[in-house]
Amino acid sequence: MADFSQLREAVLTGNAPAAVAAARQALDAGVDPVELVNQAISPAMEEVGRLYEAGEYFVPELLLAARATKEVFQLIRPLLAQKDIPPAARVVLGTVQGDLHDIGKNLVGAMLEGGGFEVIDLGVNVPPEKFILAVEEKQAQIVGLSALLTTTMPAMKKTLDVFRTAGIRGRIKVMIGGAPITQSYADSIGADAYGENAAAAVAIARKLAGR
Amino acid sequence: MSPARNDPKHVTGADRIPPAGETLPRLTIALQVADILRSLGYPREATPPARVVRSTEKILAEARPWLQPRGTYSLYAVTRQTAHSLEIGGATIAGNIGEFLHGADRIAVFMVTAGSEITRRAEACSRAGDAFAGLALDAIGSWAAEAAAEALMEQLNSQLRPGESFTMRYSPGYCGMNLRQQRTLFKLAPAKSVGISLLPSLLMQPLKSISGIVGLGPREIVGIHLSPCERCPQVGCHMRR
Repeated sequence: MADFSQLREAVLTGNAPAAVAAARQALDAGVDPVELVNQAISPAMEEVGRLYEAGEYFVPELLLAARATKEVFQLIRPLLAQKDIPPAARVVLGTVQGDLHDIGKNLVGAMLEGGGFEVIDLGVNVPPEKFILAVEEKQAQIVGLSALLTTTMPAMKKTLDVFRTAGIRGRIKVMIGGAPITQSYADSIGADAYGENAAAAVAIARKLAGR
Repeated sequence: MSPARNDPKHVTGADRIPPAGETLPRLTIALQVADILRSLGYPREATPPARVVRSTEKILAEARPWLQPRGTYSLYAVTRQTAHSLEIGGATIAGNIGEFLHGADRIAVFMVTAGSEITRRAEACSRAGDAFAGLALDAIGSWAAEAAAEALMEQLNSQLRPGESFTMRYSPGYCGMNLRQQRTLFKLAPAKSVGISLLPSLLMQPLKSISGIVGLGPREIVGIHLSPCERCPQVGCHMRR
């Protein structure tokens, strides 16, 4: 089995150039890109998540590690595509209509990309119809909704209602998050999952995608 | 609103309230890397990795010219006060404010902002895939708004009479003060004079803005009250005072 210690270390320390160099070296040596993901990238990101949960890592370290893995994925995604291996899933992300905050959503997007998901980020103040268009165009499996304020979180329910009316609700999984959001709120509006933080989002999205 | 309140500077003596006030188109603020690191989630006792500290220092240095700290306040005499309401300038501010503002005979309604450029830059970094820089710039904008509020308080010192002090600052969204009170504050302070507007969702534009009230009164009465944060259950909040 190939030695992935350099690549793992580069991801753990958030050193994107070193991660890309180590990945390129492994691929040049004939390592299968799937093995690279399964043996190096995924375990390293799981370790990053564990360190975050243990309070040893903080959000900046999460983001730097996610950026390193995202850049490695940019290198190997064409190779995975050649083998007909799709991304983990396509996720449409956005801050709901009326809300202009995007930092939390951006953190989730960065972590998901680092976890091998293809992320379609619609930005802030996104009306329900725009989510639907993106889901249809990109054939996304997951929609992530963000809101920061108690005054804007009702737009999540409205968005889900429009999904139901448009007939796409059964085809997608919806995860929600944001400062005022709770599991009970997610349950009350019929969302599939609630994520307390960006680190949790990857595991939740994997579960929703059935992976 | 009287025309005088749109002037860049409409200072009047306390004897002329209501309303007195001042618009400060350029506030001087001090930002420390340590504050930004706290805002990024590091507790005071944590030692962030050197690469995170270096990156944050670099981003802060780049960001300083993008900050446009400015603010305004209007000072009103309190005409009626209960534990859950305050009448100033013909308007009623509702909330769990009696405990925090007890003893204040004047209230300054203030608005400050760090400007919109810092948010534009943060969004651009995030769009370009640099989530860390986006987060750091967002944190810098938040701290700049906080620092602008502190700088405005310095200016408010001129309104204190001998033996007087301030209460803690208190903003819509704090414990016991509904966010809807934003609408009242925007009627009482000339927010437009510093380019702040209120959206239907009650968000302020620019996003890195703070609205609030602060009481002025005899030091021996107003100086001993609780911080609003002491009533808040979010004990781990990095903004806790």
